[in-house]
Amino acid sequence: MNFSLKAMYRGENSWDFVGVSRRVLMGSAIAVLVCVAAIFIRGLNLGIEFEGGGVWEIPALSEVTTDDIRDAASDVGMGDARVQRISGGEAIFRVRGEPAASESAESVVSALAKAAGVDSETISTRTVSPSFGDEVAGKARRALVVFLILIALYLTLRFEWKMALGALIAVAHDIAFTVGIYAIFQFETSPATVVAFLTIMGYSLYDTIVVFDRVKDNERSLSAKSRMTYPDLANVSLNQVVMRSVNTSITSVLPVLSLLIVGSFILGASSLQEFAIALLVGLLVGSYSSLFVAMPIVSELKNRESHWAEQQRSVEVLGTSNAIEDAAAVLAADRYDRSSPPRPRKKGRKR
Amino acid sequence: MRRSHLVSLILVVVFTAASLAGVLSAGWTPVLGVQLQGGVEVVLRPADEVSDEQFERAIEIIRNRVDAIGVAEPDITRQGTQVVIQLPGVKDKQRAVDLIGQTAELRFRPVLQMFDPTDPEQLSAIEEAMDQGQDGDIGNEASLSDVLTPPQEDDVSAMVALLGSSGQTGFVLAPAALTGEVIEEAAATFQGQWIVNVSFNDEGALLFDQMAAANYGRQVAIVLDGVVESAPTINAEEFNGQAVISGSFDEAEAKNLALVLKFGALPVEFERDDVRTVSATLGEGTLRAGIIAGLVGLALVGAYMLLYYRLLGLVAICSLATSGAILWSIVAWLGESRGLALTLAGATGIVVSIGVQVDSNIVYYERIKEEVRRGRAVRSAADGSFRAAFSTIIWADLASLIGAGVLYQLTTGTVRGFALYLGITTLIDLFVSFFFMRPLVILVARRLVGERPGRLGVSNMAGGVIR
Repeated sequence: MNFSLKAMYRGENSWDFVGVSRRVLMGSAIAVLVCVAAIFIRGLNLGIEFEGGGVWEIPALSEVTTDDIRDAASDVGMGDARVQRISGGEAIFRVRGEPAASESAESVVSALAKAAGVDSETISTRTVSPSFGDEVAGKARRALVVFLILIALYLTLRFEWKMALGALIAVAHDIAFTVGIYAIFQFETSPATVVAFLTIMGYSLYDTIVVFDRVKDNERSLSAKSRMTYPDLANVSLNQVVMRSVNTSITSVLPVLSLLIVGSFILGASSLQEFAIALLVGLLVGSYSSLFVAMPIVSELKNRESHWAEQQRSVEVLGTSNAIEDAAAVLAADRYDRSSPPRPRKKGRKR
Repeated sequence: MRRSHLVSLILVVVFTAASLAGVLSAGWTPVLGVQLQGGVEVVLRPADEVSDEQFERAIEIIRNRVDAIGVAEPDITRQGTQVVIQLPGVKDKQRAVDLIGQTAELRFRPVLQMFDPTDPEQLSAIEEAMDQGQDGDIGNEASLSDVLTPPQEDDVSAMVALLGSSGQTGFVLAPAALTGEVIEEAAATFQGQWIVNVSFNDEGALLFDQMAAANYGRQVAIVLDGVVESAPTINAEEFNGQAVISGSFDEAEAKNLALVLKFGALPVEFERDDVRTVSATLGEGTLRAGIIAGLVGLALVGAYMLLYYRLLGLVAICSLATSGAILWSIVAWLGESRGLALTLAGATGIVVSIGVQVDSNIVYYERIKEEVRRGRAVRSAADGSFRAAFSTIIWADLASLIGAGVLYQLTTGTVRGFALYLGITTLIDLFVSFFFMRPLVILVARRLVGERPGRLGVSNMAGGVIR
């Protein structure tokens, strides 16, 4: 297995994806376990949409300090408010808390405005009732279940149930990993983040479908006499699509990265941040899992089918394991010579 | 090159240019959501269980109030058991929030005077009478808005000037004699003509009779949330808790009046699930950040595609530009005709979709490169690989569409806005891939590349598979 960018660019890569899959899957499983443990132990840092309460974003004069704002917050009964200075060009403070019931929305805003030395019109607010989050979460959960069922059906109809299973495991892996990152680093989880999680599922599936589609396509073009084993077939297909995966990941990640760095860190639009972190992590994991989780699982399952098991045995009896280059050659020959009568074997086909 | 390819290419370009030109010349621009231009967003939920009819009526009332505030592009939608109200760009945010969440009340107010809202002389006279010289602008020409009582001053115990539901008649009304809670039941029936039966509880019967005695022979206005729904004349002094409203109703009018009365009996109270006010500066900041980030991202993607795929990268950029133009037209059209705003979530969906759009190009190009490496001529590779590539694109896009559809149907608010734009961009992607990218790639392959695959970023033909 030689790693060379040049080879990749030329399409000469021939990596043994399936061969390393056991070890890689083990690594993935451990990572997922850590993430799931983090979700249960640390929990998620839920935004006000899920917990209720209020958030105020206050652009302030430059000499105003966090303590000034905190004092103003405790005057309106928010002694335990979380006050943050959001990075960015101008000073913007973010206050999160639950004001005393006796205070009206207006009095809270004007107290904060006074402390920041600005007009109350410039303050952005958000207040959410505690029951709202349950509703949002409930709806997202229901949508998720329906989505997964539909996708499972779709993949079963379009491909086969083993592929549906592989794809869903890969999706679960991606979601667990991304949510786990949120739990570990305690990033705030809001409905925007939920959107990002759902997008990740979409991406991951999309990617996986591209891989499966190629495998199916290759499988169809195999001639009946071909002795190729399923892992070989999977390997060739993965090598064929890996550049697509890499390129798509790069072109998908670039805008998201730009959203994260330019949009939220430099220009200080914190609302963009919620999406971008989850998307970034999810995109990368999604591409990885299509190649290293979904397909190896399918390969493992398929290899137990009698036809493929037979192929595997005959290869083992002959004592020749196909090099991936050879497998690719077999496939290419099969693909283009289907219509013509059997030809003499080419040099390099070892069977 | 087959003629059909050229035709399809030209048609797409003409179609895209025409729709963009149409949208631009009509002056349509995308309506920006609350988070992108500042404003108010409120999510309301009925505090108690309500019937569908009542809920719709309550939403109608919110619509009327929002119209009264005068917001340019309000968006009020019922999403399941919630009402989502978006008022981008609204000026007095706190007042808007207060007003929207108020419970609508039904009131019976004796009519003191009726007037023609289009007659300036009558308006001046009424303003004078109502102000009773309070502010000094007597003598100035009074406009309708000077005369009418604004919603925040529409108190039970105040004298008010309001319009009828058609807007054709104005009413000067006395303080309310009773409110809707005392109504027990209201129903429209046909007895030679359409009438509405109203029954009151004990307290209501007493109050109604008092009012009838004091206003016998005069009109009493039935006012729901600042709109005079009907103004029947009182023809008896004693009703004993049963009133019949008759007039020249048709069936729909009678049923509507009965509904108004029933609603008054059990007004829908709303809880504010989510209230968000965004200052104009913050909204503009987010918008600016989003646009700059989007452009930087696009530039990076374009540069990468050019570097990697050379001429085909240029095709990818053209495809993106075409998709972008179509998307702009659609978003502007949705804003203009449906009042549908481009939200922050939607905008993010669009930025995210850049990846999906470019992927369709990549899937196709990688296929072409693969075939060329196997020794196939560039032009035949471009022709031949599309079928397989497009099949992949369809199946993968279909998964995205399923996701977008489910999310749109089953969620609300942020998630829904995102799903909408994800779905739209996916459909555009399919369209552009088939009718634009494919013919353009084939054209480029034939005319510009010839047999020099280096121009497509395929560096070495000899590095084929069979070695």
